[in-house]
Amino acid sequence: MNDGPLIVQSDKTLLLEIDHERAQDCRKAIAPFAELERSPEHVHTYRLTPLGLWNARAAGHDAEQVVDTLLEYSRYAVPHSLLVDVAETMARYGRLRLEKHPVHGLTLVSSDRPVLEEVLRAKKIAGMIGARLDDDTVVVHGSERGNLKQALLKLGWPAEDFAGYVDGEAHPIDLDESEWHLRDYQRDAADSFWHGGSGVVVLPCGAGKTLVGAAAMAHAKATTLILVTNTVSARQWKDELVKRTSLTEDEIGEYSGAMKEIKPVTIATYQVLTLRRKGAYPHLELLDARDWGLIVYDEVHLLPAPIFRMTADLQARRRIGLTATLVREDGREGDVFSLIGPKRYDAPWKDIESQGWIAPADCVEVRVSLPTDERLVYATAEPEERYRLAACTHHKVEVVRELVAQHPGQPTLVIGQYIEQLDELAAALDAPVIKGETTVKERQRLFEAFRSGEIGLLVVSKVANFSIDLPSAEVAIQVSGSFGSRQEEAQRLGRLLRPKSEGKTAHFYTIVSRDTVDAEFAQNRQRFLAEQGYAYRIVDAEDLPA
Amino acid sequence: MSETGYRSLADQLRAWSDERLSRLLVARPDLATPAPHDSSQLASRAATRSSLLRTLDQLSRLELCVLDALVVAGQTTPDEVASLVHADPARARAALEHLVDVALVWESTSGPRPLTGVADLLTGGGDVGVSGLRPRSQPAPDPDAVASHLAALSPAARAMLDHVAAQGGEATTGAARHTVLPEDATTPAEELLSRRLLVARGGGTVVVPGEVGLALRGGRTTTEPVDAVPELVTSERDQALVDRTAAGAAFDAVRRTELLLDAWGTRPPSALRSGGLGVRDLRAAALLLHVDEATTALLVETAVAAGLLATGVGADGAPAWLPSDDYDAWAARPAADRWRRLVTAWLDSPRLPGMVGSRDTAGKAWNALSPDLSGVHVVETRRMTLEALASAGPGRVLASGTGPPSLHARLSWLRPRRPRTRTEQVGWVVAEAAALGLTGLGGLAGFARPLVADEPDRAAAELAPLLPEPLDHVLLQADLTAVAPGPLESALARRLQVVADVESRGGATVYRFTPGSVRRALDTGWTAVELHDFLGSVSRTPVPQPLTYLVDDTARTFGSVRVGHAEAFLRADDETALSEILGHPQAAGLELRRLAPTVLVSTLPIDLLLPRLRELGAAPVVEAPDGTVHVARPDQLRARTPRERRSPGQRDAREGARVAAVVTAVRSGDRATSTRLQAPASALTPSGSLAALREAVELGLSVLIGYVDNHGTRTERIVDPLAVEGGQLTARDHRVDDVRTFAVHRITTVKPVEPGAAGS
Repeated sequence: MNDGPLIVQSDKTLLLEIDHERAQDCRKAIAPFAELERSPEHVHTYRLTPLGLWNARAAGHDAEQVVDTLLEYSRYAVPHSLLVDVAETMARYGRLRLEKHPVHGLTLVSSDRPVLEEVLRAKKIAGMIGARLDDDTVVVHGSERGNLKQALLKLGWPAEDFAGYVDGEAHPIDLDESEWHLRDYQRDAADSFWHGGSGVVVLPCGAGKTLVGAAAMAHAKATTLILVTNTVSARQWKDELVKRTSLTEDEIGEYSGAMKEIKPVTIATYQVLTLRRKGAYPHLELLDARDWGLIVYDEVHLLPAPIFRMTADLQARRRIGLTATLVREDGREGDVFSLIGPKRYDAPWKDIESQGWIAPADCVEVRVSLPTDERLVYATAEPEERYRLAACTHHKVEVVRELVAQHPGQPTLVIGQYIEQLDELAAALDAPVIKGETTVKERQRLFEAFRSGEIGLLVVSKVANFSIDLPSAEVAIQVSGSFGSRQEEAQRLGRLLRPKSEGKTAHFYTIVSRDTVDAEFAQNRQRFLAEQGYAYRIVDAEDLPA
Repeated sequence: MSETGYRSLADQLRAWSDERLSRLLVARPDLATPAPHDSSQLASRAATRSSLLRTLDQLSRLELCVLDALVVAGQTTPDEVASLVHADPARARAALEHLVDVALVWESTSGPRPLTGVADLLTGGGDVGVSGLRPRSQPAPDPDAVASHLAALSPAARAMLDHVAAQGGEATTGAARHTVLPEDATTPAEELLSRRLLVARGGGTVVVPGEVGLALRGGRTTTEPVDAVPELVTSERDQALVDRTAAGAAFDAVRRTELLLDAWGTRPPSALRSGGLGVRDLRAAALLLHVDEATTALLVETAVAAGLLATGVGADGAPAWLPSDDYDAWAARPAADRWRRLVTAWLDSPRLPGMVGSRDTAGKAWNALSPDLSGVHVVETRRMTLEALASAGPGRVLASGTGPPSLHARLSWLRPRRPRTRTEQVGWVVAEAAALGLTGLGGLAGFARPLVADEPDRAAAELAPLLPEPLDHVLLQADLTAVAPGPLESALARRLQVVADVESRGGATVYRFTPGSVRRALDTGWTAVELHDFLGSVSRTPVPQPLTYLVDDTARTFGSVRVGHAEAFLRADDETALSEILGHPQAAGLELRRLAPTVLVSTLPIDLLLPRLRELGAAPVVEAPDGTVHVARPDQLRARTPRERRSPGQRDAREGARVAAVVTAVRSGDRATSTRLQAPASALTPSGSLAALREAVELGLSVLIGYVDNHGTRTERIVDPLAVEGGQLTARDHRVDDVRTFAVHRITTVKPVEPGAAGS
């Protein structure tokens, strides 16, 4: 028996006891290859996955390092079969390489002939490859670079891409650090990306991913296409870039439903790119509109499927993905790995929080009981109606009012899913509301007013979920959500986690109806919060101090 | 060795000490079953083909080479045999001694001699110790003469001889004249024939005689030395790390066995009609245990070998694999003890779990626990493999890559004639030993050494401190999990399993609390307060608020709907009518209970209740024909413990006793024979017999009696008569070394035995 902080389970999870004196060292040692699954207060759970191990390989770690790390920190003997499995999995990465051939262009080269034979025999691969040059080399159709990588990953033989990148059209971009400085981890993240070529940077909400993107652009010094989730977020990117870099407003174009500008730096929304008319994507030519030197994907975990297909054709351009989490609700982490690139930088939330970059949060779940008449309606309702009924109980309005009263003078967001409920709340609280139909201009005005402190209370629908920077929000009250999505929870919590003045604690309330599906969905969210290491409490609405 | 030698093997056996004879019978147990009558029978049994084959299979390469040299040399001295073998003479002599000990060779007056059948059975190539040389011509020609003949050969003849010798030592001559003087020889073949370097064997075939073959190989049967035991290729590893790895595997093997048998106790897999375990059940078990199917098969086979799993009758009455009732006792033992039971069973089990999943010659996949899945050499291969690993010494482990082939080479040297599947078998043993925690990182664990030396208790004692201590606490977390950072005390583990669901196993266990699991605990009689107390007592850290809330919230709705058991209900719109029945003096026996003003229930079935109600004067009608509920709980199923296995000590003792008995029997048979030879028995009159017997009783002499038993078989035995009365002779029979009674009228002869021959 060893006195290590790590316990390796036979299901390939790693349990890290964080109160152990060597826990910090261990965490650093396993972070490159194990994915943090949850981080509650005492024992953090990491998982060994093929993708994680390949990410580590891509970052230059070898199997021996991984095995040694496990052996060094493991409290109990590590199952031998697991070590063998780690070594075998890691050995699969890089047996196949994509290389540039001076005559034949893109080629697939193997250091292990049987592997090459195996993949060449796969039906899916057949259409992507051309003539066999010699025993170990085969020509790949230039347009299939991305598709081939995707297919090889599915076969379990991920290819390492050495085929290089086009430089793109040069354009001077520099960081303008006269009034601020890039934080260390932001600089590390941008550097790791640049040295890796392409890949994904994982940073928590509020940790300044936009600046990592800007730093990457300053490395590339080339025309850049930035893909973001929505128009508001596009505007924020633009503002940040103007403020933080040598770029001027004229050099940055917006390509969205409203505007179709193409400039050296162009910010486009996913929505406009994936817009489909008569079976075709009319805005696809944007991707070829300029000789882009860098493509930035904001919120990679939300990347819609058509964008993956387009990205497959963009393999010759440098790509950086920015995200708070690699976990995708649709399980397409493999596509992110093969098409955008391996993870190049990662820092857990708690670490950045403890460095003081994001605010600590106090999460409270408030449970309300449905009144008897609503209970009956709920019990007899159709299953698809139940959540709406439970989530929209009038009781919640009362509770929201109490909670708002508890935090006088603190900027408060009330977040919900259902428009009627939001309208009802807005009326009851006498606060402005932002929902889907609110114009972009009006949204920006309200957000600006909230930021400046003009408005202390804002009721918002899910449009506010992503990429809107409301650093001043100190209290969030969630009344309904989209069925307990972990994604959504991360984003909403993210709204609050911007650093607060005087290190104030943010408050995050969720109001749920007891004994209904609302409470069941809430459990998912709670679990997510607890797994992220946020202590949360459950209180009954009756117990709230009046 | 005796200077003089013996006339026959039987003669030699007769002259051997009891101790030496016992050794022979231990080395060749097939000779002792059934007990031979005398040394002649023993000797003839030792020469049978099947027994010879069995014994040859037990020889090392050096021993086989010595035996082969003996066959080539013919009549010769031990020293010359030793000199013919390309090995250290002392070791060759020792090998020869061993061959004599196992009665493959006996000492004739003209030197050691192999049993006649041996030569034919020595087949194969150099790797099984066969030189391929023919026996020397007799009498053996002087090696110098052969050498000078060789020297005188023309290059062509020499080349021909080398070629023939290299091609198996046999050729056809064609037109060559066989009777020709060296001077007259015109062809290389004639040169060779004339010098007797090739010898005609009829039918135009010529062979290289043994002495020539020896001369070509430099006077020895092989050109390569044969006494080099292949060394294991090892590399250095910290023994503590090896031990820790092995202990981890040992703990896992025990834990997994318990997990599997616990699961099979409630949901047993059915036993196939052919006796095995279904492929699907094996796969499901592998999934449950998080190991591959090979390891699962090993654990299942080992559990059966250890008597923890056996066939029994499942819940549906069909044959099924069930934990035995010994399992419960085993599960309660400390982990090291449990491990000991598993590994000792494995060591002595002839089963071949490594074959599971592979296909037999008919293309059918082998099932785990299939009755035919065993091999005669498995036990020995296991022991020898472990002994080989033990020979590497502490801190040395099999080198990766080159280590396993060297292990195989060593075993091949020690038992060259062993089965063809040895490569696989050794591989399996190595993998199995690692899975059961006897080895770690390719080296034998320190605590497994006593096991190889047949001291399992010491092994278990040495393992115990390496195993994690059972914990009495868990870490409770706000995400509603409890992590036990090590093995839990078994009682605590069982309680936690009721309150929470197991989410992940391994060195640690992760439990998750859900409304379902808390409700399950409440179902089994816990109260919310007890749950809080339990959680507070097992947690080292404060109980997280959400968990407390979960318990309270689940308890709040628990039992708001109540379900009961009743055989019949009584319903009436008239409350008074029911009150009347309930209050009736004779209603006590009706077991009525009021649920609501208008509903009564009874635990009596309707057919009993109805007539009784009528007796009370009520006029009930039956409303529903049936409404009973059955509550079923899955039974804990157990099989009978299989026949108790004998411990190695007991087994050895029994074996020892048996061997001693056989030796006694053989001795007694020999004496009977010798007596008969000296004085042929003549029939006696009954009175003459009686007289002779009485005399023997008086004088305390041994006598040879001829006796016809119940089956009419006549036997001769030496007895010490103790008493003669009532037509019965009571005497100690030397053959069985016990007191027996004989009917006097069945005694055909009585002969006094010379005191010298009788002494034993």
